[in-house]
Amino acid sequence: MVEFKDVSVTYSSGVDALNKINLTVNDGDFAFVVGPSGAGKSTLIKLILKEIDATSGEVVVNGFNLRKLRRRKVPALRRTIGVVFQDFRLIPTMTVYDNVAFVLRVIDAPAKYIRSRVPYVINLVGLSHKAKSYPTELSGGEQQRVALARALVNDPKLIIADEPTGNIDPALSYEIVGLLKGINECGTTILMVTHEHDLVRHFGGRIININSGSIAFDEVIGGTNENK
Amino acid sequence: MRISSMRYLVHQGFKGIWKNRMMSFASFCIMLVSLLMVGVSVLLWINIDRIIGGIEDKSEVVVQIRDGISQEDIDQLQKNIAALPNVSGVEFYSKDKAWENMMEGMTDEERDLFRYADENPLPDTFRLTVIDIKRMTETITQIDTFANVESTRSPTAFTDVLISIRRVMGIISGAIVVALIIVCLIIISNTTRASVFARRKEINIMKYVGAKNSFIRIPFFIEGMVVGILAAGGALLLTKFAYEGIYNIFNDDFKLWSVLGVSNLYPFDQLFVRIAIAYAATGALIGALGTSFSTGKHLKV
Repeated sequence: MVEFKDVSVTYSSGVDALNKINLTVNDGDFAFVVGPSGAGKSTLIKLILKEIDATSGEVVVNGFNLRKLRRRKVPALRRTIGVVFQDFRLIPTMTVYDNVAFVLRVIDAPAKYIRSRVPYVINLVGLSHKAKSYPTELSGGEQQRVALARALVNDPKLIIADEPTGNIDPALSYEIVGLLKGINECGTTILMVTHEHDLVRHFGGRIININSGSIAFDEVIGGTNENK
Repeated sequence: MRISSMRYLVHQGFKGIWKNRMMSFASFCIMLVSLLMVGVSVLLWINIDRIIGGIEDKSEVVVQIRDGISQEDIDQLQKNIAALPNVSGVEFYSKDKAWENMMEGMTDEERDLFRYADENPLPDTFRLTVIDIKRMTETITQIDTFANVESTRSPTAFTDVLISIRRVMGIISGAIVVALIIVCLIIISNTTRASVFARRKEINIMKYVGAKNSFIRIPFFIEGMVVGILAAGGALLLTKFAYEGIYNIFNDDFKLWSVLGVSNLYPFDQLFVRIAIAYAATGALIGALGTSFSTGKHLKV
């Protein structure tokens, strides 16, 4: 669960990125976060990942009160979150398998578990046949699916997808969001930041619109795909 | 941490050496030269220390005994002197022996001058050696307070000079070693900064997936440590060949000087283990710390 209580962020440059935001994303929710550039979407994500601290207010993520969370406990918080970036951020010198397994190694998972879990997750995103390939040998869509597998592999409570379709073909975007929806149906909370209104309209669901550091709109809408 | 994870990190460390082989080679060369310089300063110091130490050991204190005292008093005085904590050995040197030795060292003409002397004018003496030459003055002051001591004679001015030389040499070598280690750390951390920078993306991803700083640092740490140990091995070999060459050149000369108390250089075999441990420890430490410093900046995500 993600909870923002009267959260404000003012950067050292004096820019007010967020103004007294109140927001709750319950376990199992799927929410699109939309808004123009500079609205405060990235700040919201940075707060959840504790890359930055709120100037005022309280942020609680998966039971961690981030205001009280010590620096050395940040890895514990991040292990409950999977992140998918617009630019994939895969390690080019590692194979698909290693890019995914890497997360489990980081959290000191048993070797036996890694050997069984990684192929399972790679299979979930449909890339079993590319497990030994390097990221540079994959298309944008495939790379994003690897990134998705990496976010998913340690079974996080929350996945943050920061414009995951920004660097891939529109047709593949639907596939990626479809995968995220499937993951959500298994109980994982998904927070997806996007600029693509078509995609949002197509899938529908909870839409959080941030504008000038405030929540301008937070409603559930029906998707066009549901009408078909 | 699990053994499998540790094995993975060690493997990543070794892989890093090969992946960044140019940088690793640069670090290796810098460390090799620095270790050699440190080794040369230390070897120079310990050998000078040994040579001076040899001269110091030959420095004796001569205690002149009051004339005409009984054998009992002489024995008591010897006991008292020997009981002093800084005295390592006391030898009685009788006036007759002193006379004999003096005569032996003279030419016939010189001896003629003393032929008609009524009695032996030389005093009985004790010749003693001290444990710590720095406390020689203090020991002499104590001996002067004993009964039946006529006077004391010691090369304090000379030993003071030797002590000063040793102290200055020690300070200079210590300063050189510390300065070289600091310089080496700075150079190594700058050299590895480039390879860490190349892997900043990897580090960044590690941080996002919840890696602890130790997990990120260990492969870099191992990489630096292994390069440091390899450099130490190279430095040890070069030191051995150079040192043995120098040792062989001076060996014969030192045999002559040993009469004056000048000790020979240490044979390399005697120093090998200590130098190997010192090189390996310094190399590993510099390598590991140098790389750790350069990763620090990228861990603040």
